[in-house]
Amino acid sequence: MKKHKMLFFRILMSFVVVLSFATSIQAGEVYKLALSLAITGPTSDAGNPYAKGVEDYFRFVNDTKLLGNDTIECTIRDDQYNNDVTKRNFEDFLDQGIVLYLNYSTGSTMGLKRDFEEEKIPVIPASFHAGNLIDSNYIFLPIASYSEQIIGLAEYVAKNHKGGKAKIALFIHPSAFGRGPVEDLTKAVKAGLNIEIVEVVEHGQDLDNTAMLKRLKSKEVQYVLCQTVQSPVATMIKDANSLGYAAKSFGEAGKITFMGAHYTGGNDLIALSGAAAENFFWTTSYRLTSEKSAGADAQLALAKKYGRDDKAANSHNYTNGIMVAQVATEAIKRVKEKGEKVTRSSLYEELNQMNGAKAFQADTTVGPVTYSKTDHAGVDVLQLYRVDGGVFRSVGVPFSSEYIKKIK
Amino acid sequence: MSANRWLATGNYFATYKEEQRIFFTHTDRLIFSFFLVCVFVWPLVFETNNKYMLVVDNILIAMIAVLGLNMVTGFAGLISIGHAAFVGVGAYAVASVSRVMGNDYIFLTHAWPLMILLSGFIGAVFGAMVGLPAFRLKHLYLAIATLSFQMIFQWAINFMEFFNQGQTIYVGRAFWFTGEVGRNEHYIFWYYVILVILVLMGFMVRNILRTRFGRCLIAVRDNDRAADAMGMHPGLTKVYAFGLAGFFAGVAGALHAYLYRGVGVESFTLHHSITYLAMAIVGGLGTLNGSFWGPMAIKILELQVEKIAEHAGEIFPASTNLATALRPLSFGLVIVLFLMFEPRGIANWWRITRSYFKLWPFRY
Repeated sequence: MKKHKMLFFRILMSFVVVLSFATSIQAGEVYKLALSLAITGPTSDAGNPYAKGVEDYFRFVNDTKLLGNDTIECTIRDDQYNNDVTKRNFEDFLDQGIVLYLNYSTGSTMGLKRDFEEEKIPVIPASFHAGNLIDSNYIFLPIASYSEQIIGLAEYVAKNHKGGKAKIALFIHPSAFGRGPVEDLTKAVKAGLNIEIVEVVEHGQDLDNTAMLKRLKSKEVQYVLCQTVQSPVATMIKDANSLGYAAKSFGEAGKITFMGAHYTGGNDLIALSGAAAENFFWTTSYRLTSEKSAGADAQLALAKKYGRDDKAANSHNYTNGIMVAQVATEAIKRVKEKGEKVTRSSLYEELNQMNGAKAFQADTTVGPVTYSKTDHAGVDVLQLYRVDGGVFRSVGVPFSSEYIKKIK
Repeated sequence: MSANRWLATGNYFATYKEEQRIFFTHTDRLIFSFFLVCVFVWPLVFETNNKYMLVVDNILIAMIAVLGLNMVTGFAGLISIGHAAFVGVGAYAVASVSRVMGNDYIFLTHAWPLMILLSGFIGAVFGAMVGLPAFRLKHLYLAIATLSFQMIFQWAINFMEFFNQGQTIYVGRAFWFTGEVGRNEHYIFWYYVILVILVLMGFMVRNILRTRFGRCLIAVRDNDRAADAMGMHPGLTKVYAFGLAGFFAGVAGALHAYLYRGVGVESFTLHHSITYLAMAIVGGLGTLNGSFWGPMAIKILELQVEKIAEHAGEIFPASTNLATALRPLSFGLVIVLFLMFEPRGIANWWRITRSYFKLWPFRY
C-alpha cells in the first residue's frame, strides 16, 4: 500500500514538474511598448486610425505568433492632443517598464525630447518634423521629414514647370509642425533650387480663403505647397475652385496648382472637399489602398480580420500606424534572433543598424526603412500622388529629394 | 471671548484683534497642523510613482495660480479671463533666462528660488499693467481687457523668434544641497518645493486679508463708490489686485517651467484661463479654502472624464466625436450646476461641514 502511495506521489510530482516546465515555455516574454496620441480631440481624424493601425498590427503579431511565444503588449492611451497629458502618460509608461515608445504630435515630441535622452529610450513618433532630430539621439522618424517632403514637392515643381522660375506660396499650420519646412525650403532655394517663394501664409481657422487666394493670384503665384492638416486645405481648394483658380492639370497656365505633404492629403481630404480635390498633388512615403499592391492587400486583410470599417481600413494614417508597429516588431525580432535580451539599448542599437543589407523592407511603404547613427529618418523616398476621379493615383516613380542632402 | 478656546462654538470676539486671528480656535490650529504634517509625510509613507506625483504637483501649482485669481476675481470682484497668460509670463520669465544664458545657466539651476521669486515680480508688473484699464473700465469691459492680454500674449509667444515661436524652451535640472535633482526624485522634490510655497502663499493671502489692503479689496468689490467715499482709491486698489494676482500667477508659471523642465505656449492658452476661472468658481469665489478645493475638484474631474472618454471610445469606436465632446461637456456642466445650485462653491460645503462638527451634538 505504501509502495502504491509513493508511486502515485512520484507520478503526481512528475506531472507537476512537466506541466510547470511546459507552462513556462508556453508563456514566453512580454515586451512592453506604449503609444500616447490623440484618439479624441484635435487631430483625432489622423490619430484614431493611426491607433487602430498600431493596435491591429500588434494583435496580428501576437495572434500569428510572429515572435514565437513572445508577445508584444502595447498600451495605447488617448492624450487628446494635450502635451501635459502626453507627459503624464509617458511617466506612467516608464513606470510600466516599456522598452520602446511610440509618440504622436510634434509639440509633445519636442517637449519630451530631453526625457527620451535621459531615459535612453528609442522613440518612433507620428510627427515627421525635422526638428525632432536636432539634439536628439533616440527619436526615429518613420519616413522622410516634412522638410524633405516639401522640398521634394518644390523640386518636382522646378523640374516640371514650364516657363521660367515657378512662383510658389507656402500654406502652413501656425505651429512648429507647419513652420518646420519653411526655413529648409528657403535654404534649398539659396542652394540653387529654381523656384521663388512669393509668400508664406500661416492659416488661422478661416472659413473662407477668397481674399488670400485673390492676393496670391495678384502676385502671380502658380503653386501653393501646403504643410498643415486636411481641413484648412479643403477650405482653400474649395474656394479656389469656386473662384476658378484651381488648375485642372499640373502647372496649368494662369491657374494655381495645389500640393501638400503627408498630413494634408488622404481620403479625408477628398471626403472634406469633394470634387474640389481633383488635381491635388500629395506626397507621402506610404502605399495607398487605392493603388494595387501587396502592402495594400495585406492592410485591407488586417483591417477585415479585426473588424475595422472601410474608412479606417483605407486611411493612410492606418497605414502609418501599421508601419511603425512593423518597424518596432522587426527591431524586436532582430534582437531576439541575435539571442540578445530585448531592452531599450538593444532595440536602439538594432534600429541604428537597420540599413544597407539590413534595411527593413516594409510592404506598407514605397521604399525601405533605413536608419543609422547619422540618419534617423526611416523611409527616404517619397511617392507623388494626384487626385484623379475621386481617388489618389500615383504619379511617376518614388523619388528622393536632392536638395535635402545639400542643405544638411 | 469664550473661556475655552478649544471648543468655542460661536463668535465670542471681544476685540477687533481677536476677530483678526488666523485660527479662531486651538482646535482649528491643531487640525491644520495635523493636516500639514500629513501632506508633508504621506509621500514618505506611501509608495509614489512619477505619474501621480506629476498630477499632484500640477494640482498644487494650479492652487497657487487660483489663489491669485481669487484675489482679483473673488476678493476684488474683477473678472480676469487672461490668468493663464499671467502664469505664462512667469514661465516665460524662466524661459527667457534659459534662452539668453542657456538652459543650464547657474542662476536657473542653482538659484531657482530667486528665479521663482523674480518670475513672481515680473508677473506682478504685467498684472499691474494689465490692471491699468481698471482705472476707467468696469465689469465686462474690464474682462475684455484681460481677454485681449491673453490674445496678445499668445500671439507674441507664437510669432516671436525669441520665444522659439511657442515651441518648447528647455529649462535645466535644478540643484539642491545634495547635487542635481535627478529624474527619479524630480517630482517628489518639486512636490515639497511647491507645497512649501503654497503654504507660505496661503498664509500670505490670509494675512493680506487681515490688513487694510485686504479690506480695501473687499470694500471695492462690494461697492466701489462707497469705498471711494470712505477714502480708498478704487482704481489703485484694482491695479494692486491685478498686481497681486500677477505675482501669484508668475510664481505658478515659474514652478510649471521647472516641473516640466520646459516651457511651451500650449500650457497657457485661453482654455487654461477659463479652466482657472472654473476652478475659482467651483472652489468658491472670495474664499481662501476655495482656492484649494477648486483646482483639486477640476483636475480630478478632468482625470475621470479622460478615463470615461477613453472607455466611451472603446465601447463606441465609431463615435469618436462623442468621446471628444465629453470633456468640454462635463466641464461646462459642472460649472453650470455649481452656478445654479451652489454658487458659493465647495468652500460652502466645507463651511457647513465645519459648522456641523463645531456645533455637534446641537443642530444650531
